[in-house]
Amino acid sequence: MIRVMSLTKRYGDFTAVDDVTFTCRPGRVTGFLGPNGAGKTTTMRVMTGLTPADAGEVTIGGHHYRDIPNPGRHVGVLLDASAQHAGRTGREILALGAKLMGLPMSRVDEMLALVSLSDAESKRRLRNYSLGMRQRLGIAHALLGDPSVLILDEPANGLDPAGIRWMRGLLKDYSERGGTVLLSSHLLNEVELVADEMILIGRGKIVASGTKQELLAGRGGGSTHVMALDIASLSTALTAAGLEISPAGDGLRVEADPVAVGKVAAAKQLVLTDLRPAEGGLENLFLDLTADTQRESVTPEGVAV
Amino acid sequence: MTAPAVNPAVDPAVNPALDRLPSIDVSSTQQVPFGRLVSVELRKMTDTRAGRWLLAITLGVLIVAAGIVVIISLFDEQFSMTLSDWQSMLTFLTTLLLPTLAIMSVTQEWSQRTGLVTFALEPHRLRVILAKLAAVTLLALITLALAAVIGVAGHALLAATGVDISWTADGKDLAWTLYLQMVYFLMAFGLAMAILNTPGSIVAYYVVALILPNIVYGAVYFLLSWGPDVVPWVDLGFAVAAFRGELPPVPSGTPDLGVGPVLSTLTIWVVLPMAIGLRRILRTELK
Repeated sequence: MIRVMSLTKRYGDFTAVDDVTFTCRPGRVTGFLGPNGAGKTTTMRVMTGLTPADAGEVTIGGHHYRDIPNPGRHVGVLLDASAQHAGRTGREILALGAKLMGLPMSRVDEMLALVSLSDAESKRRLRNYSLGMRQRLGIAHALLGDPSVLILDEPANGLDPAGIRWMRGLLKDYSERGGTVLLSSHLLNEVELVADEMILIGRGKIVASGTKQELLAGRGGGSTHVMALDIASLSTALTAAGLEISPAGDGLRVEADPVAVGKVAAAKQLVLTDLRPAEGGLENLFLDLTADTQRESVTPEGVAV
Repeated sequence: MTAPAVNPAVDPAVNPALDRLPSIDVSSTQQVPFGRLVSVELRKMTDTRAGRWLLAITLGVLIVAAGIVVIISLFDEQFSMTLSDWQSMLTFLTTLLLPTLAIMSVTQEWSQRTGLVTFALEPHRLRVILAKLAAVTLLALITLALAAVIGVAGHALLAATGVDISWTADGKDLAWTLYLQMVYFLMAFGLAMAILNTPGSIVAYYVVALILPNIVYGAVYFLLSWGPDVVPWVDLGFAVAAFRGELPPVPSGTPDLGVGPVLSTLTIWVVLPMAIGLRRILRTELK
């Protein structure tokens, strides 16, 4: 539904977005992941016609954004939840959007209920909103026109864990009804939980894309965390099978994929109580892929915005 | 390590099936009607504290000024006031504060970053700017009408207190007052478009609309030999006076300048800032 084709955006000598091509399909949540300054926001601004591209193009549902009449009815956009007049109430901000899009004012109340902003909260001015409340309001604004495409820049930023879970449910539900979602984040955990597909970007270039499984598979097998009732027999069996093991908590870390470990256990009829790809596989991949694009020493949490 | 290849499922260069991505049918969606854009812009000018206070204070100032005139008339036997005097006084008062509203209508999209939403909901920026211009013009006309009502009411009060007044008004005076008022609003709007910054635009407006005419131009006109030849071409008030043949006399003889100064001042203070501003707004990036 969203097609980005050979998109390039330069600022002087600096190439913010470098020949970026990707696609977001309906019914899927696509995560746009990369460290700060990687080009996510610039790409999204170009998508929505706020920034002109130097080369390449973006189409949404086959149209350039500029050519979509009353675009709020087709594409929900949240680029920065704080980019609203600090003196307007949340309700007034939604009312202005609804009025412009030609929607009934009842839509404002529906959206406030959807994002769990209470009546009292909706009458507060934006400057008194926490970042989490601004994000909820921003998501409500993006959904006002009942669009079929959502473009959200760092929507989970500032949400508490319950808020992130709520957003995950909301976006899953939205995509299951056929909607297309593109959301960006610099935090892997946020995207990993919500996105069906991921696009990793670093220094303006796409470094990897695909589902979580595809991304990990592309690494040539990760390591596995395994636990068993009889851990001693399992370690003997794994060592005998030529696999490299190391103790990890109550279980073992095996330098092989879960299938290989499971096969060994099955052959020896050992009961496994846990078998999964070792933690951090995707995180390591993310950091490896974007390592040379990080601003400072690598921290998984990225740099606070 | 080697990065995983770009997933063919999402790469249209590899997966031609993506050319058949579903498209959005926009044929039944209307463009946002211009009138709706205007009414939203009007609402945006009046739904913030700054907007409401500017309107309330202006209304208060108009009423207080009218009251002061009536009180003075009670104590001054020689007092006389024409309808045109009323209009020029009250109109001047509206130009003190309200052009700030016109300025903020433009600059807030940048200072409060609401442009990110405004221009995403209407990507045709020229339409947004025209809607703002229409909203500002409407607001100016409404305040002028309000000033007129207050002026007439004040005049009626004078009559009631026994001041000898006339109800005839000079249509030309009124028309030129209206003209200047509109030009001040449009100038504020144009300067805001060119400067795109609230404090900067407000300072520029007050320098051009208040400080230069009241402090600088008069002195230059009367004290410098080239004053009478230059000032009418740059000052809106002198330009109108020149056109109406009412330039103050100077020893070297009052020049007869015709319509030229009116056009040149319009160009300098309205057309030029708007042209520069439009170029900026159409090209600038919203961040």
